[in-house]
Parts: sequence; C-alpha cells; structure tokens
Amino acid sequence: MKALEGIRIIDFTQAMAAPFGTMNLADMGADVIKIEPPRTGEPTRELSSVARNGHSATFMTMNRCKRGLTVDLKRPEGVEIVKRLAKTADAFVQNYRPGVAERLGLGYDALRTVNPRLIYCSVSGFGMTGPYAQRGGYDLIAQGMSGIISVTGEEGAPAKSGVPLSDLCAGLFAAYGILCALEYRERTGEGQLVDTSLLEAAMALTVWEATEYWVTGEAPKPLGSAHRLTAPYQALRASDGYFTVGANNDKLFEALCRAIGRPDFLEDPRFAGRGARMENRGALIEAIENTTLGETRSHWLAHLDQEGVPSGPINSYAEALADPQALARQMVVDLVHPGAGRIKALGVPVKLSGTPGAVDRPAPLLGQHTAEILTELGYTGAEQRELEEKGVV
Amino acid sequence: MSTPGALDGLRVIDMTQVMAGPFCCMLLGDMGADVIKVEPPGGETTRQMEFELAPGVSGPFLAVNRNKRGITLDLKRPEAVAVLKRLVETADALVENYRPGVARRLGIDYDTLRSINPRLIYCSISGFGQTGPYASRGGYDLIAQGMSGIMSATGSPDGPPVKVGVPITDLGAGLFGVFGILCALRARRVTGRGQLVDASLFEAGLALSAWEATEYWYTGQIPKRLGTAHRLNAPYQALRTNDGHFTVGAANSRLWPRFCQLLGLERLTDDPRFKTVGDRVRNQRELERLIEEVTVKHPCAYWLERCLSAGIPAGPIYSISEALADPHAQARDMVQEYDYPGVGRVKALGNPVKLSRSPARLDKGAPRLGEDNETLLGELGLRAGEIDALRARGAI
Repeated sequence: MKALEGIRIIDFTQAMAAPFGTMNLADMGADVIKIEPPRTGEPTRELSSVARNGHSATFMTMNRCKRGLTVDLKRPEGVEIVKRLAKTADAFVQNYRPGVAERLGLGYDALRTVNPRLIYCSVSGFGMTGPYAQRGGYDLIAQGMSGIISVTGEEGAPAKSGVPLSDLCAGLFAAYGILCALEYRERTGEGQLVDTSLLEAAMALTVWEATEYWVTGEAPKPLGSAHRLTAPYQALRASDGYFTVGANNDKLFEALCRAIGRPDFLEDPRFAGRGARMENRGALIEAIENTTLGETRSHWLAHLDQEGVPSGPINSYAEALADPQALARQMVVDLVHPGAGRIKALGVPVKLSGTPGAVDRPAPLLGQHTAEILTELGYTGAEQRELEEKGVV
Repeated sequence: MSTPGALDGLRVIDMTQVMAGPFCCMLLGDMGADVIKVEPPGGETTRQMEFELAPGVSGPFLAVNRNKRGITLDLKRPEAVAVLKRLVETADALVENYRPGVARRLGIDYDTLRSINPRLIYCSISGFGQTGPYASRGGYDLIAQGMSGIMSATGSPDGPPVKVGVPITDLGAGLFGVFGILCALRARRVTGRGQLVDASLFEAGLALSAWEATEYWYTGQIPKRLGTAHRLNAPYQALRTNDGHFTVGAANSRLWPRFCQLLGLERLTDDPRFKTVGDRVRNQRELERLIEEVTVKHPCAYWLERCLSAGIPAGPIYSISEALADPHAQARDMVQEYDYPGVGRVKALGNPVKLSRSPARLDKGAPRLGEDNETLLGELGLRAGEIDALRARGAI
C-alpha cells in the first residue's frame, strides 16, 4: 500500500512548480489526474527543446505517476467534466495566473460549491493577494526578489542557485499545505484554500540570512563557498580540482590538520579558535591550499575521511547520478515510456518504511486516461463518443 | 479567540539540532502541532550560535525553534530515557537528526520506541540516509551541495565553485522530512501503525536537481554553471543597468518580440542569430552583450517599470534587507514580530503557505532552556517530589 492511496488530486498545472508538488504526492500513491487541453496538451509538452522521440523531457520528468485527461475548458461540457471530477476529488491544484481559473469557472468559490470538502491549492508567482498578485512569476525573478541571488556567488558576480529552488520548493510547500489541510478536514469535514507562491517559498528559505540581517542590521553578502560563521568550511583547491570540507569546530580543525599533515597550524595563534580562524580566513585558506595543491582530491578526501572530517567531492551531474550512495538509495530509476522508450528518473528522496513511495509509472501520453476517467465518472460510451466528436475531450 | 491549527492535537517530539530537523519540526509547529523540543541540560548547540539578540539568546536558535515547548533531558541517564519513553507513549511523531548509530546507543532508536508506541512516526534526518555506503557519515549542507551536483551548476562560468547562498540541502531535507511525516500520518489512518521516515541532505539535493538530471540524461551533456542565465531559455537572466542588475524572463515566442520592442532592438527579433529560443540560447553571450549595451543607459527602476507595463516578467535583485522591506512581502505577512523575554521585539519570517480556515500561527517564541520541564512532567503524571529527584540526579 502507498501512503496516499485513496487521495485524488486534480492537477490543473503547467511547467514546473505545481507539477513538482503534485508529482511528489503521486509518487506517494495519490491518484493525480492532470487536465490538459485536447490536441495540444499542456504547454510544457511543446516548449521543451530537450526531448526523446518527440516527447518533452521536462514534461516526462515533472509528471510521472500521474493519469492524463484531455478536456477543452472553454466548452461548458468540459467544465462540467471537471466539476464532476471535483465532486470525487480531495484536492484541486492550479498554477495559472490569479484570475485564469476563475474565468473558466474553476475558481475556489465555484468548486467549493460543488464539493465543500475540496482542498483548493493555488501556486502562483507571488500569491493570490497583495500588490504583485497579478504578476507572472519565474524562478529567476523570485530568486532575485527573495534576496537569494544577493547571497549566492561572489561579490560583483551575482549568481542564481543553479537549481530552480523557488519553483521546486513552492511545489513542496504546496504539498505540505495540502497534507496539512487534509488533516484539518479529518477533524472538521471542511476543505479550504491553500495559497502559496514562488516568492514566499524562496523567502522561507532565507531563514538564516534574514536572522543575520535582523540581528546585525547588515544585509548578508555572498561568500562563494564559505560559511558565514566558521572556517575552514568551503571548497578547497587540490592539484586536480576542488573538494569541500566542513571543519566547523576546534576538534574538526585539529582532525583536518592531522589529515593534511600540518600539525603546525595548531600552534599558529592566527588559527587558534573559531574567532581567530574567521578573522584570518584569507591567510588560513592560503596556508591550507599551499599544502592541498600538492596532491589530488581523492588523496585528500581519503585522509579527511579517515580522520572523520566531513568532506566530499564536488560532483558534476554525471558523477552525482552515478554515485554509489545515490544508486544504493534508489535515486536513479529506469522507466519505460510508451512513446519515448527507456528513460531515467530520479527516485523518491524520502523513504517510508511501511508504505514506501515508488516511481513506477511514466508520465501520461496526451489524453491517455480520458476514456478510463470518463467511465469512472459515469459517462456512457455514447456520451463519451459525443464529447469526442464535439472536440470537448 | 485564535483560529484553529491544521495540526492541532498532533504531538511531535523534536530531538533535533541546528537546521534541517528544527526547520522540519517548526513547519509542524507553525500549523498547530504541539512540538516538544528535547535538549540536553546544557542546551542544544545552536543556542551558542551567533548572532546574539541578547546575552545567551541566539538569533538563529529563535529563528527555527518558534512554536515549540522545551524540556531538558540528559539521555545518558536511564531516568531521563524513561521520561522520554513516557513522552513517546503520548506522541504521534518523533524527529531526530543524530548521526546514524547514536540513537541506538542511547536506546531511543525506532525499533525500541515502536515497541512502546506502534503508532509512532519516527523521522530520521541525516547527511546521506540510514542505509547505503555513506550512511555513517555526518552531513553538512556544503558537502551535500557539492556531492549532489548543485555546486557544479551554480555560479559564474569562469569563477571558483560556489554554493547556493542559502543552505538548500538542509532546508530541503527538512521539507522532505515534513512531507514524509504528513504522508505517514495519512497512511496511519488506514494501517493504524506508524513507520520510519528516512530523509537526507544528499537525497534532497538530488531531488531538487530534477531539471538538471533530466538535461543530463536526455542530452548527454553535463549541466554547467551559467551565472544567472538559463540552459534552455534566453533571454532569461540578470541584466546590467546603470545602477545594478535586474532579472527578466522574455524567452518565449510571445515575450521575445515585445522585449525587443521595449529595448528599441526590433532589428534583433528576426535576426538569424536570435530568432528561435534555441538560437538565443546558443548565442546567449552575444545576445547579452547587445541587450546590455542598451540597458546600461538607464537605472533598474526604468526597465522594471517598462517590462511590467508590457507584461514581461521582471524584478529587482534585492539584498536580504530589501526583500524583507518589499511591500508585497509585507502584505503577505512574510515579516512578523513577537515579544521575547529579555530581548523585546523579535522579527520572524512568516510561513509561506496560506491556509484559509486553519492558517499558520506564530503563537510563541522558541522555548527557554527547560522552560516546560515542570508542565510536561506534570502532564506525564509525575509529582513534585519525583521531579525534584530527577533534577537532583541531573536527569533534567
């Protein structure tokens, strides 16, 4: 049994943020039904320049484990199908701009009339209220407006997080919100609105940095790979590239010095204690790298590991996805997609012992489950043929 | 009369320290769960962490431990472990982020506690997970960012490796942890039983690399660092102005011509170098150069106004202080305030998820050390004499 079996979620989403949220719910066994326009499908099917056999890679990645229904929402019969589906559903998730779903007759007020137990989740760029509620949002923009770009990279060279963390975390926070709302409903029988955004998700991730600003009065600056409070904790150079090390207390610093064969650092007053090491960080790193530049990354990582100093390689994605721990933890899954053939997917990152999630179904082909779902909703064969002929599905 | 919490009635024992675990538990507490933070009598290490709000009051500790009650237990003493076990009997979930092996040594591992309370959801957050070749390694965000590939895709193409400036694998592990706990709660309604929820920093980093993994698997090309640019979309990046940078996303076929017009660069719309999004990505550096020749002539505010009027997504690059002062962030309650003894007014980030009937609340600040010892032990049925004895033996 999977944890969320029996939970039905209508997925009226596109692109990345909300689809990632509903995907995680689908991985855990929820019946996630993606609604798309007939013939063209969700925009991501068309827009991705990375594909296999004409099937969009992004779409396949963000929509595995879901069922697919095509329905033309500009037609009243189409809206009726979704309303019938909403009667049977636990949640409805959408990430169109505020106003779009409402204009189609699929806003929160319309759907809760149909099903007062429904949890209605909106994931937007900025949220459903507030001065920027009508703006479209992208991950890049949310990263900029949350302050994340201002603390990433090096001073003078702003960088964004290389992974679209406001998109993906908005999806995760949405899943968290939906599951919390389900708990509330168990006690009260009531659904409710769950409203989150890329900007708010990104801001929530600045919990440490916001605190620093509020306490010190100074906005944190970008520090490359270094830590705000402790050293040495950063990427270090070896003869063949960089590795990371996190020696964030005196004990670990001692272990580091042993690992690199420089016990003399322990006698150096510039490096005695965390405060001194922070103050003399430049000299500290230079001194350490004078030694570490002499040997390879794997040489140092072996020694550091032996001394128990947290450390590791800086992997490319080719290396990360081939890492023995990643493979042992089933983070790389093989799937067969009916159109694209054999494809790879990331596994479920959180492991439940009793009711584990699983990536066991590829993303749906366009309209793959339309007939099945209409039948479940009670549409007869004749009714389904008529809907098809009219182009409603 | 305050609003109901979505997780009212849920009890969570928080054995965690620093960031990932406390953040996970805080997300439960924000939604009304009764989160009980268990610390050694000397206090959790983060209490010593800069930046101090007042002597002995750490800003970071307050930031991730609000909405929690606090008890001290010296788990090296059997009497303290006995108290923890009585708490476990009353709890729905327990969250720990010890190095794998430590909980078993203390006699508070999942197998032991599930025999006391089969309904317990036991969440372990670690560097690499409870199984696999690296299971015994400690994990730090920097290491996990490096090993998951995130650092390889972050930063400018010509610079040294950099990490994402927020501890994304710590926070991601916390998020996947809370997601796993809530899934396990649903499962428990059917099965009547709890289970182990096993989350890690390394796996959170991999999961957040869904896009990059996709690109690598489908194209065979290893994702590289691109500064603020995007591998598949252009223009989609930060652009230089005469007073800083702003971000813009005008990559699709609808927005690209509009952006060209706004810049007075209509001639580029059908230029063979930039006609399709694929062309623009291939020639991103040249495109950037041509656009910045124009954008450096005016300040950010000028460009932002024009982009937004034209319906082109764009935004400023804020410092942390500017982000927190933004009118929209304020309107969305992302900056809240509360009173804390010995400090006065303390600011906190709001919860990013807005529930209409059972909204997140900020009911109380982080517990002072052992603040709820008497209350909690009393709730467990211990009498004053028994509590004094525990204190005398150093168990609490």
